[in-house]
Amino acid sequence: MDSDIVLLFLQQGIASGLVTGSVYALLAIAIVIVFRTTDVANFAEGEFYMAAAYFAFFLIAIAGVPIWLALPLTLVAAALAAGLFQRVVLRRVAAARGVAVNLVIATLGLSYVLKGLVRATGFGDTPRTFPSVVPDGSVTLGEASLSYLDLTILAAALAVMAAFFAVFNLTRTGRAMRAVGMNRRAAQLVGINLGRTERLVWAFAGGISSVAAILIAPKLLMTAEMGVVVTLAFAAAIVGGFTSLPGAVVGGFIIGVAENLVGLFVSTRAINVAPFVIIMLVLVFKPQGLFGGRLRVRKV
Amino acid sequence: MSARVLAAVAVVLVGLGLALPALATGYVVYIANLLLVFVVLSLGLHLVIGEAGQFSLAHAAFYGIGIYTAALSSKVLGLPFLAALLAGGVLAALCGLAIGVLSLRMRDIYLALSTFAFGEAMQWVFLNWTPVTGGPNGLAIPPASFLGRPILSDKAAFPVVAGVTLVVIALVAGLHASGLGRAFRAVRESEVAAAAVGIDVRRTKLLAFTLSAFLAGAAGGLFTTFSTFIHPDSLGFQTTILVLTMIVVGGIGSVTGAVGGAVVFGLVSELLRQVPSYQEVIYGGILMLFMMYAPRGVFALVGRR
Amino acid sequence: MDSHLALDRIVMRFGGLTAVNGLSMSVARGAIHALIGPNGAGKSTVFNCVSRIYRPTEGRIRFEGRDITGLPAHAMAGLGIARTFQNLELFNELTVLENVMLGAFSRLETRLVERLWPASPRTRARAEEILEGTGLADVRHVRANGLDFGRQKLLEVARALALSPSLLLLDEPAAGLRSREIERLDTILTDLNRERGITILLVEHVMQLVMSISDRITVLSFGEKIAEGTPEAVRGDPRVIEAYLGTKQAGEATHHG
Repeated sequence: MDSDIVLLFLQQGIASGLVTGSVYALLAIAIVIVFRTTDVANFAEGEFYMAAAYFAFFLIAIAGVPIWLALPLTLVAAALAAGLFQRVVLRRVAAARGVAVNLVIATLGLSYVLKGLVRATGFGDTPRTFPSVVPDGSVTLGEASLSYLDLTILAAALAVMAAFFAVFNLTRTGRAMRAVGMNRRAAQLVGINLGRTERLVWAFAGGISSVAAILIAPKLLMTAEMGVVVTLAFAAAIVGGFTSLPGAVVGGFIIGVAENLVGLFVSTRAINVAPFVIIMLVLVFKPQGLFGGRLRVRKV
Repeated sequence: MSARVLAAVAVVLVGLGLALPALATGYVVYIANLLLVFVVLSLGLHLVIGEAGQFSLAHAAFYGIGIYTAALSSKVLGLPFLAALLAGGVLAALCGLAIGVLSLRMRDIYLALSTFAFGEAMQWVFLNWTPVTGGPNGLAIPPASFLGRPILSDKAAFPVVAGVTLVVIALVAGLHASGLGRAFRAVRESEVAAAAVGIDVRRTKLLAFTLSAFLAGAAGGLFTTFSTFIHPDSLGFQTTILVLTMIVVGGIGSVTGAVGGAVVFGLVSELLRQVPSYQEVIYGGILMLFMMYAPRGVFALVGRR
Repeated sequence: MDSHLALDRIVMRFGGLTAVNGLSMSVARGAIHALIGPNGAGKSTVFNCVSRIYRPTEGRIRFEGRDITGLPAHAMAGLGIARTFQNLELFNELTVLENVMLGAFSRLETRLVERLWPASPRTRARAEEILEGTGLADVRHVRANGLDFGRQKLLEVARALALSPSLLLLDEPAAGLRSREIERLDTILTDLNRERGITILLVEHVMQLVMSISDRITVLSFGEKIAEGTPEAVRGDPRVIEAYLGTKQAGEATHHG
């Protein structure tokens, strides 16, 4: 490989990686915020994302809902569905026998239900193309070329992240979420409604997942299996320490860039296994992630 | 599982061993063999989740390691069936030990994540290591050799499969009743208290995890006695979830539940094979509903401990 | 009397917070020694250091003259140190008998071969004996989470006793108990100490119990030792009164004491 190609691949890989990475970052935020506040690793995150993409697809392509209306509808529906899952299922699971294993099994259950439902509609088996509202065309940055769609994705993802961090850091609700994540008992003592906060966290996660889905769906073929992409978001969350939100964002970009570079320099087949290898390597050599703080010590 | 239940299971299996090959068609015997493999798989997952309370999501990978190891050691090295089965179990256990050593230092959720990643990575290896596994073309499994003679049919395999399964059931039931089993459950209930009564928590978890991987590998070896073909598609996360559903239905923590869940739900999954979308909705729905309303499984539903 | 447990300038920091600051104390063999102090004084932290859940940032811990600072938590039971937990750490889904047997078991059946067998008659007998002694025999087949709070606290003590300890660490054994249950605990602990010679170190807020059974009391405030001595000496110590004044325990201290 001569140096010109290396340079081109490098620039293109980084530019495209930042675009997909921004979507992984959104999904990683959804995973981390749920884990931090409710101690549940949400194995249904991929299917939240997949189902949201299909919901938007139905509205736009089948029901003919205009896109400016379909997007907020999807966001609201995803947030409601996720909140409902916490309210109806997880609360009940915790009451029945609230051990961590059972909560994770419940999320695995939801992931299969969502996948099966989408397949049962008959639209999940053949790959679909999500309509794009962004005109074709591209810009060149250095030697890398990005489509208008890419730029829109990156800009929108960054805007959503900024909005999320503003809510999380500045509003009362956001502070309640952080407090619950730090110390549930103490948060309850200062008058925070645990159930309501957890529900909001799940709704938030659902909403963010739907944004990620709508953003990236036009770039991908839609299938009922598209949720596997979220494995990359899990890898991003783990790289970021699994409890750190800024870590999730940086992790998302790292994974996005790494994925694209692996695809360009190694092989596209290696892309499939890269996230799992990354997850294992990080867990083995730097289990607290790049940004995770100290390991939590349980008080007895 | 009490000695009485165990004896009943033994009687049923021996009875079936005598009657089934004579009465049933090859397909029915094949399903019976498959159900017994699921029993061994469930008992393996039961050890790590049900007894020790640790979450492992790589069960299908260990199963696959067992299948490929047993098939290849029989094909290439000419090992007899029992040796091939043990080889599969031991290699799976070694992989489990390695993953366990690396991830059990951390909070329990990391075990779920790293085993999930390991499972997916292994499926990728099965699919891409073509010279060994046949990759996407799958691998033809040679007939296993038992007591110097090849096992050529499902009917011939059934007594062997039933015998091994019975031994595994007895071992796991014995383990459940032993002090080690009690130590597993102590770790599940409270790690700090387990340490306070002198249990080495990390070593205990590691032991449960390694034994679990061994049984999954042994189940793979068992599979090679009656099956002629293996494809990586059946060694993915879906299979792990299927086995998980079995122990959930039977009741997490109960040996009888793991055995019963494997038989009942193995049949259900076979019936649902033609309709993948319903299969997914039903697996998923069962996982959620049981966690919500019957975390102790069907045995709790009918009012038993 | 010789020193059964000795803490030598223990420091425990969590990030920027110093929970215990240079604590030295010695628990005499055969004594009942209480560790008291207002909330947040670092009492439980000291306990968690001794039972090796935390590793102290600085300082050494000696048990029967041997440095145990670097040993793992699960090695304590074998040395003869048993503990109970402030917020109950029972094996909830296991029966009362199984909880106690897990204690007896670790002490009596240490070889792997023994562990692969169902419990031996002597483990079972030891567990039954302890259930009788603590009055839990009639609930032996009840799951731990099916007991009332008072009996759960008692089960914590029973499980610890099954380890046949020479040193028993009790983290607020009386918290949440009714006064009749406290009296019962008082009797059980005094008997253990007098008849079996078990050294007891306890953290406790219930002054009625502390003043009645302790031979010696160490008072902690903000991670430092502010007083030490007999119950009478500590009760009159102006530094102790000052430390408790204005805190919730002040009322309790005067009320019970």
